[in-house]
Amino acid sequence: MSTITQQHQTKDILYPPGGILMWIIIYLELLTFGAVLIAMVWYSKDEPELFHQSRIQLNTTFGAINTLFLLVSGYFMALTVGALKIQNITKSKIYLKLTMVGGLLFLGLKTVEYLDKIEAGLTMGYNTFFSFYWMLTLFHVIHVLVGLVILASVLRAMIKKPEELILEDVEASATFWHMCDLIWLLLFPVIYLVF
Amino acid sequence: MKQKSFLYVLLLIIGLTIISAFVSNSQLESATEIIMILAAFKLLLVAFYFMDLRHANVFWKVLLIGGLTIFINLILII
Repeated sequence: MSTITQQHQTKDILYPPGGILMWIIIYLELLTFGAVLIAMVWYSKDEPELFHQSRIQLNTTFGAINTLFLLVSGYFMALTVGALKIQNITKSKIYLKLTMVGGLLFLGLKTVEYLDKIEAGLTMGYNTFFSFYWMLTLFHVIHVLVGLVILASVLRAMIKKPEELILEDVEASATFWHMCDLIWLLLFPVIYLVF
Repeated sequence: MKQKSFLYVLLLIIGLTIISAFVSNSQLESATEIIMILAAFKLLLVAFYFMDLRHANVFWKVLLIGGLTIFINLILII
């Protein structure tokens, strides 16, 4: 059994779970996505019918299933960190792999959705709604891709050098992954359900 | 115990997502308000439980809840 290094675990304002830098990034990301979503709602007031007609062309089922993929993936990420805290690397590796499967399933379904939209001619320049749709969801997809690369590097470290694993680094990676959940939980209702 | 509580949180969030989808398809006048409040609640559950924010300093909790309240209100007011 390996020893996982843990440096801080306090209620200190400077040490939120996952690290202060990660939480600053999270708040900035939520602020950015939030501002664009507010702009989207603002623009919808000028063209309510266009936004409604465009929204109903989205596949809400795909959106809901993708929400489930990310949520279940986030659940396994939380279990990964939990297992690591009790030094159970074997379980941690399994949970981390399941986390990544959730992310890959999300990307797979997103690809199907994107191809569907492109085939129907609903590309970025089609109208205001779809400009926002592509901009917001693609930006989120980039975050998921980056998150998967980070998780792959954590998994590699778990397999190759478990003795050098630092819990705070894994927590920071997990926090980034959960951030993808948080962003999606804002995007999904506004883009797929509200208009 | 912690694993179980994570599972309960996951099931709760999934349940809220399903309710959101039903509300969205309903003819309720306050559908937007319900959907946005449920979204905020789901986001807080992920942050407080999966991201362990409940063990962080109160500053980080207030910042998230405050920011989210402003966001939801702006979406509903516009």
